[in-house]
Amino acid sequence: MPSDYAYVGLFLIFGVAFVLITFFFARLLRPSRPNPIKNRSYECGETAVGSAWVQYNVSYYIYALIFVIFDVELVFLFPWAAAYRSLGLFAFVEMFIFIMILVFGLAYAWRKGALKWV
Amino acid sequence: MNLTLIIPEIFLFLWALLILFVDFFTAEEKKHRLGPLSLVGIVITVVLVVFSGQGQAFGEMFSADYYSLSFAIIFLGSAFLAICTSIDFARERIKHQGEYYALILLSTVGMMFLAASRELLSMYVSLELTTISLFVLSAYLKTDLKSSEAGLKYMILGAASSAILLYGISLLYGITGTTVLKGIQAELVGSAFPGPLLVISLVFIIAGFSFKLAAVPFHMWAPDVYEGAPTPITAYLSVASKGAGLAAMVRVFFGSLLPVTSEWIPLFMALATMTMVLGNIVAIRQSNIKRMLAYSSIAQVGYILVALSAASELATTSMILYLLVYMFANIGAFAVVIAFYNHSGTDEICEYAGLSRRSPFLAISLVIFFLSLVGIPPLAGFVGKYLLFLAAIQKGYYWLVGVAVLTSVISLFYYMNVVRQMYFRKPTKNDPVKVSWSLRLALVLSLIGVIAVGVYPDPFVSLISKAASVFVY
Amino acid sequence: MPVPLGYYLGLAAIIFTVGVIGVLVRRNAIIILMSIELMLNGANLTLVAFSVHLQELSGQVFVFLVMTVAAAEAAVGLAIIVMIFRNRESVNVDNLNIMKW
Repeated sequence: MPSDYAYVGLFLIFGVAFVLITFFFARLLRPSRPNPIKNRSYECGETAVGSAWVQYNVSYYIYALIFVIFDVELVFLFPWAAAYRSLGLFAFVEMFIFIMILVFGLAYAWRKGALKWV
Repeated sequence: MNLTLIIPEIFLFLWALLILFVDFFTAEEKKHRLGPLSLVGIVITVVLVVFSGQGQAFGEMFSADYYSLSFAIIFLGSAFLAICTSIDFARERIKHQGEYYALILLSTVGMMFLAASRELLSMYVSLELTTISLFVLSAYLKTDLKSSEAGLKYMILGAASSAILLYGISLLYGITGTTVLKGIQAELVGSAFPGPLLVISLVFIIAGFSFKLAAVPFHMWAPDVYEGAPTPITAYLSVASKGAGLAAMVRVFFGSLLPVTSEWIPLFMALATMTMVLGNIVAIRQSNIKRMLAYSSIAQVGYILVALSAASELATTSMILYLLVYMFANIGAFAVVIAFYNHSGTDEICEYAGLSRRSPFLAISLVIFFLSLVGIPPLAGFVGKYLLFLAAIQKGYYWLVGVAVLTSVISLFYYMNVVRQMYFRKPTKNDPVKVSWSLRLALVLSLIGVIAVGVYPDPFVSLISKAASVFVY
Repeated sequence: MPVPLGYYLGLAAIIFTVGVIGVLVRRNAIIILMSIELMLNGANLTLVAFSVHLQELSGQVFVFLVMTVAAAEAAVGLAIIVMIFRNRESVNVDNLNIMKW
């Protein structure tokens, strides 16, 4: 039985090593012939226009906000799914109601035009 | 498990969704009819609350008893009055009226759950449901700089105070190993003496709740938010959000922390003294009536904290009764302010000059509400304050009651300043101030409340004392 | 060898304190919002640590709900900050002084 610290250490080593090893192999395998055009931010031939510090359309924030709200609701689905068999019908109905409330929220956002792509 | 107990809450929640739904299919010029529609929902919910049974659901998470019943009626009453005062204001000045009314109803649902919960987890979630709806409402005038500023300040300080409260709760959970209030009490009775961790957790919990109540020194958000928020929301915020904080606080402290009273009573006494003194003194030099009422409502919390430090059955009765009385007087006073603002577009006290000639009804109502807030017999405020102070005297806190009486006398000064403007100054304009039916309804209901509770308090006291008997002191 | 409970509580207290200091000291509204999230996470870590230590699950359930509530709070907070930015081109809380702070 290794100590808890060993687990933390393993995670740390694995996390750092994964990144380093990937970079190392990538460097070994890829050819390296830099030129000014390739070093631009967009490598696919587009010329970058202006600075990146411009105002985005405000509806991008709304996507982000909707994502934040719906994203975390998933945290309730995992424990429910894991214990699904032992919970029975009542929990199924409860989760159904929960999802329906979320669907109402999504329908509301849709109707308000928050999902329209600009 | 008895699911019929939460029918009122579920009904009100569905009614809020209904309003959002109806809002989609209503033309912009007819949207003001959503206000009366929400009033109908509140009236039905009151009936459901009164006739739904008592008992527990979801373990200890939800318990319908006289305590939750009386708080639910106060919350629904203040939502009713706030929506009455909103209808004209919203029609003239607010976009997205459907969401406005729906958010008021949703925050009321949160408060009802809050008063009914006997467990820290459900309490925290319902407190957040209440406050997050109120964040949005206080920032509702989107292009108004004051309103958006009020919204940001309320959001930052409200969220920070919830986090502080949560940290206190997490420590309390660690000490006792449960989030059920009854279990916490049982655990604390068994322990020989409280350790430093308990003291730290109590300090965090008290600080978190004091933010919600706007008790000094955690009051600094209140004047700005009250001034900046749309005025009907200020009225609602000043009663309902304080009531919600109080409902949770009394439930936590009298429902689970009575075994360690010696640790928290001195803190409450200090808070009560500071709140009464600072609230009343700073109110004197305000020139904006919303700001003045903000400081006055801070001071009123001080009187409630006097009873909270008494920790007896009478104390609980007096606090709930005082909240009821305060609801009528404070929302009534704000209704006058809203009526005046709808007509003239200003909240400055000097503009109230000569109001007695422009609208005798508004002027005399405001005088009655102010006298009730001061506590002059035979108005309701007197009964409320009498019981609060009696509870403190029974415990021998004579000096605390002395401070309370003295600061009540000081409060007479700034209330009478407005009265002086209305009655003894010449009006700058002579056009009469018109009052719409919905504001008139709110004013008349508040007046009836203030006078009825003052003249004949027995039925109210006997019902509320049943609520107070849910705790074992 | 398990990590002692005190270490978790100490880390949680440090995270919470960093959050409190951030709320008090920083002037950018978005950073204040992030500091509030830190405070909530400090409380969450305390709850989880106690829950594991006491072998009692309600603390971990609490954390699930706190995470959801925090997301809702952040969404409303960001929306209000966006609104403030559109009104006055700044999210510095020192500039919010129309009313006395």
